[in-house]
Amino acid sequence: MEVQEERQSFDDGDEDPKEEQPEVVEELQQKLQEVELGGRDAKVLRFLDSVDDYLTLIESLSSTLRQGWLELASARHSMGASRISTVLLDLKVHSAATSLHVDYGDSVEGRPHFTLCKWVSSKNRKCSPEDENHRENKLHPQLRYRGNLQLHEETLPQDRATHKVDDQVEKERKKSLSVFGALVSPKLRAAQLTFEGALETLVEIANMRAAMLSAFDQVQKELGGTQG
Amino acid sequence: MYGFEAMTFNIHGGYLEAIVRGYRSGLLTAADYNNLCQCETLDDIKMHLSATEYGPYLQNEPSPLHTTTIVEKCTLKLVDEYKHMLCQATEPLSTFLEYITYGHMIDNVVLIVTGTLHERDVQELLEKCHPLGMFDSIASLAVAQNMRELYRLVLVDTPLAPYFSECITSEDLDDMNIEIMRNTLYKAYLEDFYRFCQKLGGATAEIMSDLLAFEADRRAVNITINSIGTELTRDDRRKLYSNFGLLYPYGHEELAVCEDIDQVRAAMEKYPPYQSIFSRLSYGESQMLDKAFYEEEVKRLCLAFEQQFHYAVFFAYMRLREQEIRNLMWISECVAQNQKSRVHDSVVFIF
Repeated sequence: MEVQEERQSFDDGDEDPKEEQPEVVEELQQKLQEVELGGRDAKVLRFLDSVDDYLTLIESLSSTLRQGWLELASARHSMGASRISTVLLDLKVHSAATSLHVDYGDSVEGRPHFTLCKWVSSKNRKCSPEDENHRENKLHPQLRYRGNLQLHEETLPQDRATHKVDDQVEKERKKSLSVFGALVSPKLRAAQLTFEGALETLVEIANMRAAMLSAFDQVQKELGGTQG
Repeated sequence: MYGFEAMTFNIHGGYLEAIVRGYRSGLLTAADYNNLCQCETLDDIKMHLSATEYGPYLQNEPSPLHTTTIVEKCTLKLVDEYKHMLCQATEPLSTFLEYITYGHMIDNVVLIVTGTLHERDVQELLEKCHPLGMFDSIASLAVAQNMRELYRLVLVDTPLAPYFSECITSEDLDDMNIEIMRNTLYKAYLEDFYRFCQKLGGATAEIMSDLLAFEADRRAVNITINSIGTELTRDDRRKLYSNFGLLYPYGHEELAVCEDIDQVRAAMEKYPPYQSIFSRLSYGESQMLDKAFYEEEVKRLCLAFEQQFHYAVFFAYMRLREQEIRNLMWISECVAQNQKSRVHDSVVFIF
């Protein structure tokens, strides 16, 4: 009864939940879950959800990598084995075009957060706005559509910066492919994009694994507390 | 009949024409490809190929096999056959056979120069060169810093020397310069080969003109598609197209200004032989274009064997074997990656 009343009050609330900040909504939903199901069950559910997401991401990575390898083979078939070969890779010292940052600073429940900075020289440590916006969308997937709309409204004045970033990213992409020649097949470019997507999925997997391990720790603590 | 080739061709070319027609009968058939496409592992592919002419080249290869090993050994067979024909040939057939390898020579030069620019070991690069394109001083290419040195130190004594006149500069070699050098050399080579075949006359000139014109047109389309969205200017793009072929000169003018695949399609569909190729593709798609071009090329190469007493059969045989090796490479990759459902994406049946 209490649960139903609380749900009704939540539904009849003056404010539309979709208009509130994503963190607040998530917190409310978690509280609702906990009230409905009891604290321990909510944590177990959270753990199982994170395991499910983790396994889904692993499968997505596997499929993306399969596609990438086949596209690379297709590019070799099209351009010739001598044009796409490991002997053409550049051994000169150069800065990494993509880097991974691990953030322990503002972590929730002590878990690390991984961020990919794509196509940004290591001299410029700050991630591009494109990556930061992408990160926000990944953290709140259920509000992704809404988040994008907000983002669109907010970035209208920043269109120039966005275009500049896009041009820079495109330039870095072409530069990394130029080891195979200045005029490469569209199949090789497609393979590059696919492997780029796989790299993003890998970072998501790392974050999801951190979340999963954290949820598991909480479940264990709960079980330990109950038994004690 | 174009002249009186039937009366005199067999004096010098009869033996080798018979040899090349015998080699042609050893090309893999549709039944062979069906068996290969059903293989589960690369060892199965090796087992199926052991019953073909590739058998002796693969039998001593230890497991586990790699796709590059299969391609390497199959290429060795082609090289052995070519060398047998070359050592038996007299002029002008010997020059004709040498022309067939200049494309590989250009690829090897670019491989060595690019690898050296990326600070790779020369021995490592030499191992990856195509055997048909090797020449004595190829290792010295690693010393050159610009095209002028490349020409002066090494290439002046090779068959590629005449093709360098259009691209000698003192600019240091970088990725774009090397790409322009590659395409400029190949353009000069194709035009020289075309003129040589025209001088030979008869059925050779007729058939080779058609085959080389197709090659020139295909290169123009590939250069256009690959240069979309790059720094290559329209003028530079236009300079890389050969000065012959069905698309020369009006098709080239249209291709030079294309900014996407649909514009390329619009330019090509005005030419009936290429309309049939592009009609098989959906709008905005270029993935299957390579296969469509290969299929058309194979059709024309097979037709070369329908006439006698000309040299185009040698060119056609070499190109058909190269296509067969590409097929084997693709089948091996699909089997190795456990993607057999995609095997028919790029296999072109010859018979």
